[in-house]
Amino acid sequence: MQLRIRHTTGYHYEKGAMASFNEARMTPMTTSEQYVLRSRLEISPTPWSYEYRDYWGTTVTSFEVHDPHQDLTVVATSIVDTQGTPPEPHGVAWDALETVQDEWCEFLAMSSWVAPAPELLTELAPLRESAATPGDYATTVMQFLHDRIAYVPGSTEVTTTAADAWRAQTGVCQDFAHLTLGALRDARIPARYVSGYLHPSREPEIGETVAGESHAWIEWWDGEWIGWDPTNAITPGPRHVVVAKGRDYADSPPLRGIFSTSGGSELFVGVEITRLR
Amino acid sequence: MDTSELFDGYGPVAGFDEMFAGTDVRDNYGTIHESFHKMGADEIRLRADSLASSYLEQGVTFGVAGEERPFPLDIVPRLIESADWHHVERGVRQRVLALERFLADAYGPGELFADGVVPRETVMTSPHYHRVVAGLEPPNGVRIHVAGVDLIRDGDGDFRVLEDNVRVPSGVSYVMTNRRALSAALPEVFADHRIRPVSQYSQALLAALRKAAPAGVSDPTVVVLTPGVYNSAYFEHTLLARTMGVELVEGRDLVCRSGRVMMRTTNGLEPVHVIYRRIDDEFLDPVQFRADSALGVPGIINAARAGHVTIANAVGNGVADDKLLYTYLPDLIRYYLSEEPILRNVDTWRMGEADQREEVLDRLDELVLKPVDGSGGKGIVIGPAATTDELDELRGKILEDPRAWIAQPVISLSTVPTLVEDGIRPRHVDLRPFAVHDGDDVWVLPGGLTRVALPEGELIVNSSRGGGSKDTWVLADASEPEDLGDLAPNATAVAGVNQSAGPAFDGESRGMQVQEQEQQQGRDVPC
Amino acid sequence: MLSRIAQSLFWIGRYLERADDTARILDVQMQVLIEDPGMDERISCEQLLSVMGVEDYTGIPNRWLILDLLAHNADSPVSIAAAIGAARESARRARETLSTDIWAAINTTWRGLSTAQAMRPPDMFTWVRNRTAMISGIADSTMTRDEGWQFYMLGRSIERVDMTARLLSTAALASGPQVAWPTTLRACGAYESFIRAYRGIEADRQAAEFLLLDRWFPRSIVSSLAQAEKALTKLESSGQRSGFSDEAQRLLGRARTELEYRPLADIVFDLPVEMERLQRSCAAASDAVSARYFAESEAYTWRGGVLL
Repeated sequence: MQLRIRHTTGYHYEKGAMASFNEARMTPMTTSEQYVLRSRLEISPTPWSYEYRDYWGTTVTSFEVHDPHQDLTVVATSIVDTQGTPPEPHGVAWDALETVQDEWCEFLAMSSWVAPAPELLTELAPLRESAATPGDYATTVMQFLHDRIAYVPGSTEVTTTAADAWRAQTGVCQDFAHLTLGALRDARIPARYVSGYLHPSREPEIGETVAGESHAWIEWWDGEWIGWDPTNAITPGPRHVVVAKGRDYADSPPLRGIFSTSGGSELFVGVEITRLR
Repeated sequence: MDTSELFDGYGPVAGFDEMFAGTDVRDNYGTIHESFHKMGADEIRLRADSLASSYLEQGVTFGVAGEERPFPLDIVPRLIESADWHHVERGVRQRVLALERFLADAYGPGELFADGVVPRETVMTSPHYHRVVAGLEPPNGVRIHVAGVDLIRDGDGDFRVLEDNVRVPSGVSYVMTNRRALSAALPEVFADHRIRPVSQYSQALLAALRKAAPAGVSDPTVVVLTPGVYNSAYFEHTLLARTMGVELVEGRDLVCRSGRVMMRTTNGLEPVHVIYRRIDDEFLDPVQFRADSALGVPGIINAARAGHVTIANAVGNGVADDKLLYTYLPDLIRYYLSEEPILRNVDTWRMGEADQREEVLDRLDELVLKPVDGSGGKGIVIGPAATTDELDELRGKILEDPRAWIAQPVISLSTVPTLVEDGIRPRHVDLRPFAVHDGDDVWVLPGGLTRVALPEGELIVNSSRGGGSKDTWVLADASEPEDLGDLAPNATAVAGVNQSAGPAFDGESRGMQVQEQEQQQGRDVPC
Repeated sequence: MLSRIAQSLFWIGRYLERADDTARILDVQMQVLIEDPGMDERISCEQLLSVMGVEDYTGIPNRWLILDLLAHNADSPVSIAAAIGAARESARRARETLSTDIWAAINTTWRGLSTAQAMRPPDMFTWVRNRTAMISGIADSTMTRDEGWQFYMLGRSIERVDMTARLLSTAALASGPQVAWPTTLRACGAYESFIRAYRGIEADRQAAEFLLLDRWFPRSIVSSLAQAEKALTKLESSGQRSGFSDEAQRLLGRARTELEYRPLADIVFDLPVEMERLQRSCAAASDAVSARYFAESEAYTWRGGVLL
């Protein structure tokens, strides 16, 4: 499947901004499952910019604006070829995980984003007891969380943690991902956060431009990294486009930075996705 | 009054005393002991007072909780024999080189993890491991431009490493000012010894910083970046900037433009190439770290990434002077340098490892427990001095977050005679030698900062806990003719030109004549 | 040179001169109060406070109040104590560019302040004058004549114009000129040179003329203005073919020529008003210097950032 993604984001400043330093992580990755044909970032006002790969392998565009401006707009346009054969779980045994604990220690650490609420931990304990393999546990837990948490758009903030979302019993994709990561890591299963885009319709029409969203899902270790989209309870496929992989949301926010303004500011976001082939 | 009064009631010392072996004065301290004896108590006190007031006038201070306090300098110097120093020098150089290799590896290929030298988790879960600088290669490969290695002498007088400081080690300014003040206070004692000089530190640092400049910059602009006047080490920042002849800047004096760091001057923006920063990583760049930091320079990390500016010491070095990594240092020296460690660590137990923890928890009351992230003596619990409640609280803290603690035996630090209220008494000391790495060589300043714990029996040597300092005299080796030391300049005969006397001095009995003339003017002048 | 450092040096110059001149002004005032029996203490002190720009105060203006507000009270921004404190704070910020000697001199002055405050007022004023003279002397013999020096001299000269203008107002407002003028001249250290220059003819007009216009006497307004202009010319790196593009230079040059080319009688006729105008020019010139050379040292406050 070939997808074109147009991701627009930025700030509107009530009283204008004097200067601004930002980093954008909006360029899809090239992986074994997706190939980036073209990718372009347009920023207004025109800044000085510099591109690099960060620790996690994400393409980062760092830019500076030194002139007073009312709005800052970043438009990322990419064309990506995706393919639909995700790896299958290997069904490794619990013992096998021991050998990778140090190698994937970063994807086992409980950050404040993913740490499960104490009440959730008590519910997870019996699931862990009865699971014969990490794969069993993962399947059970992922289904369990999908059933228990209601997907309610706009119900949480970008700063909401997994524990907050569990208490609220609602969340968006970011919360589903954080909750699932916390539950998996609690059983010492390495798991990582994936951010990117998802074409919203199951059978995308070629040539039709639809409103999409930034999306987040996860990968967990079962002999190799296995994808899972906890929000939709599906295995990520050709409709998913990967931008970044990290420990949690904080490792790959699409746009972050600082600016100097005396008034308020408003963040805007819009994603349009078109299936080209 | 004679010196017997000053030294009365000095010993015996339980541990290793650097001046006395039992009741006998060690050979190397013979001259000093004798000079003090000759001067007598009154003279010594007088000189100590003038030493203190000259320090106050020069404004040699450190800040504690926002308040400027004088940093007391003791009048009795500390001697280090050249053979001992040679050992320290080699040991410090070895540690710095091993830590450099470690940092390059940890922020690069990570071979040490693959080879199982250090668990990946030790490094990856450290709050000082800054992923933002992963893959950022410094221009001449140097990350530790300046290191301060804290040493102590144990009960046998052997040097042991207490900790490494490779972030922003401070204290070198006191080494320089102590020398100037003490040589003025004790000129005759000074002249009796061949002492290696410390004044060349700034030039060595400047040379190393210039060598660290980004590629293609032949005449780099070096600056010292300070958090500002209210920082406890501000005095040092000014001294270093002044003696290197470079600008001392604050964050607000710098601005990033197009990935280059510029400084705001009266002639507009001017480029900066090497920043010797004395600001902690977390405050350096609000884009990458704490957005609320007003001390830093937005965009500075990416300017370094783009290769337009060098930040010294490098960002992320904190992962190397972590107290937990310290425990692996002997292994790192063997792994990277294929050498045996020259300076030994203090025995240390890692609380993160279950068997070691068990052992320690059983004998908490005998050991010293240190938080991995603590510095300046903060959070340290000395078992034998702690109450049962304190130990219980400590036990709870260790069990809650075992990785955050290490344990060490109580070491009796060596003592050096120190002038206090009652006279000259043994006080515990440590030693922080400073090393400068310029990419080709690690140079160790012959001297270093000796800190002394002024309260009797106090084992934590720290300026914020009633500490003072001593001038540290590294004696020159007779076999090193090129290093003549801070000797008083030889009185080579110089043919001086007589000063012009001017009209007020005429003839041979100048003084007399002036007086006479004045007297004449006092009388009635004949018309 | 760093804008921030230039700014510090400029203000060190101003604060030290301010401390010095305030001591001189107070010295005159105290002497007049003692020596002139016809003086109404309250009115005279009120006038002094108004000349020094103090508007908010509580209590009846008398010599104790002015001593408090203008000399001892570190919380009063116009006091000697505050000026010395501010000079020391500025010096601390610019410490790496100051010579050790000058820093030590400023620091010692600051530390000696509490002892000095316990002295009799005339002794304290002498102490302040001696200390500031010593600092100027050390600055003169140890500071390199680079931009920093020019900013220091500029600050000092602008402040000297401003304060001498206030001193002249004080003298003009004093009811008994036969006491006020000689004291004022003495306060400026100008008494002897004045007597020599005017051959003993002592008159208000001449005293005013001397302190306003004498080109040879370094504390006169005209020579201080010329000194400030000289510093600005040195700072202006590119030579100017015609006119002056620098706002501060234009303001100070105009103030000087107005004094020099106008009939003296015009100026002396309403001296306090003229002096107030001069003070305004100084303030405007100081602002212009800030805007041109120090503006870059203003920093932004940053917002937004990582939500961690």
